[in-house]
Amino acid sequence: MSRSPHSPLLRTFERSHTTGHLSEACVGAPATGGTNRASGPGTPAPSRGRPQHLLRSPAPELPTVSGLRKMGVNFTVSNKDTVKSSDVLFLAVKPPIIPFILEEVGPDIEARHIVVSCAAGVTISSIEKKLSAFCPTPKVIRCMTNTPVIVREGATVYATGTHADVEDGKLLEQLMASVGFCTEVEEDLIDAVTGLSGSGPAYAFTALDALADGGVKMGLPRRLAVRLGAQALLGAAKMLLESEQHPGQLKDNVCSPGGATIHALHFLESGGFRSLLINAVEASCIRTRELQHLADQEKISPAAIKKTLLDKVKLESPSLSVASASKVSLFTNKSPSSKKN
Amino acid sequence: GVMEAVELRVGFGGAGRMAGGLARGLLRAGKVPASSILASAPSDKNLDAWRESGCRTTHCNLEVLQESTLVFLATKPHVLPGVLQEIRPAVGPHHVVVSLVAGVTLQTLQRLLPAGTKVLRLMPNLPCVVQAGAMVFARGSGAGDGEAALLKSLLSSCGLCEEVPESYINIHTGLSGSGVAYVYLFAEALAEGAVKMGMPGGLASRIAAQTLLGAAKMMLETGEHPAKLRGDVCTPGGTTIHALHQLEKGALRATVMNAVEAATNRACDMAED
Repeated sequence: MSRSPHSPLLRTFERSHTTGHLSEACVGAPATGGTNRASGPGTPAPSRGRPQHLLRSPAPELPTVSGLRKMGVNFTVSNKDTVKSSDVLFLAVKPPIIPFILEEVGPDIEARHIVVSCAAGVTISSIEKKLSAFCPTPKVIRCMTNTPVIVREGATVYATGTHADVEDGKLLEQLMASVGFCTEVEEDLIDAVTGLSGSGPAYAFTALDALADGGVKMGLPRRLAVRLGAQALLGAAKMLLESEQHPGQLKDNVCSPGGATIHALHFLESGGFRSLLINAVEASCIRTRELQHLADQEKISPAAIKKTLLDKVKLESPSLSVASASKVSLFTNKSPSSKKN
Repeated sequence: GVMEAVELRVGFGGAGRMAGGLARGLLRAGKVPASSILASAPSDKNLDAWRESGCRTTHCNLEVLQESTLVFLATKPHVLPGVLQEIRPAVGPHHVVVSLVAGVTLQTLQRLLPAGTKVLRLMPNLPCVVQAGAMVFARGSGAGDGEAALLKSLLSSCGLCEEVPESYINIHTGLSGSGVAYVYLFAEALAEGAVKMGMPGGLASRIAAQTLLGAAKMMLETGEHPAKLRGDVCTPGGTTIHALHQLEKGALRATVMNAVEAATNRACDMAED
């Protein structure tokens, strides 16, 4: 995948899910469930001679942080620094935190910045509304990606906001196309995309686990069963992507009359396999919309959220000292003066 | 050599629904004049309709063999062995014997007829009557390309007619012989759904039938995979995909597969009786 040598570099990172770290206002703080584990090792990035990837992380003990540091990513605890040094800002925090991130980085946002939100269910208009207090024409792009970006086989869609130009969208597309498939969509389709390809890898992992079980039941060693199952799905997906044919036709091509496959498929149909998958996509999409609706309400006070978050951080990571947790400068406008590398 | 259809004298041993359907199809297609058709049955009950169409009738099976070159055997299965014994003396090398009798194999037929008789086995379905049938046939050891070509050419006037290995015949029963009934059931359910939503039954029924007819015609004429045709009808978030989801929830596909399997298995079981 070709990349413009002049494109600014941004990476998105996975926040360790053991800490449930909700307080990283970063360029590149990961969103929920570890999406945006991202570009990682797969995408070497030419530098423009400035610090390459700025990630703000208040908890440098996180395993993800050290892993990323080895790749040459720079870290800072200062949102200001990240914003000032970057052209494209990925906001990848949990949806309820987005409004607070925006308030914090808002003053530093300039017209040149492209703010990219990966937060599920957070609308472009809500982001624009928040930023417009600081910048009259904020460039906002909303995107929805999925975990396989980590192996450069992500599925990403994006929708451009009011003030984002065609080139801004194309820039994001170029970035995300380096880690998989990326295309522009109308914003109102993003929830459906979440249901399908956002959650999709989980459906696949579930299927693969079960397929492996089937293999093991019939005598295969587990490792081999997993390997073969994964390869079968990978190969099938590749065939479909490279073929003009309808998946129904491709299925038929595998089913010799009276053979093993058609017998197996009958079982799948009897179990309502297809409807289960339809149900899954629908449920994920609907839940995304519910979450969006909840987020829109913003009824909880900032102080209450802060307390809840800090409590959660303490609960989930007893190894983190209270002191480091308090370095979270999310809700204040002051950043700690120390800049960690 | 291949007989000219015009010179063909066609006989039917047995005059029930299936025989009648085939004959009616041949007549409607103008392949064979009514005067060239002779049908036999034990009683007059079935034969009236034949006579009304202009066909000749008899109570004597032997006469059918003597008067006809192409003979369709369409008796009930338990009656057939007796009929074969009866007609055996009159069967000659010029005859082409086509059995429509469910469950009776080519092996059995050939055993009960003179050696070398040109025997074929045909499985039609009811819509032959309206020239929209689906038929498959298999040839016995005495039947050659000429006989196969004759049968295919004649019966294509009644719908789709394909030669197959004998092992497919029971499957055809499950798919299309009985399959017609599945379609009626589906049509009835469609109409019932419409009635529930407020449409009068008669209208709903006619529309249901036309919907099935139209969809089938598109499949046959475009040759496209039904999955693709289905996708073509489904606008994103639209009515169709919502409805299809209901069908999938009900595991309709598996149920239909079960039906075909059950009918096929039953055909196999009955054949062994």
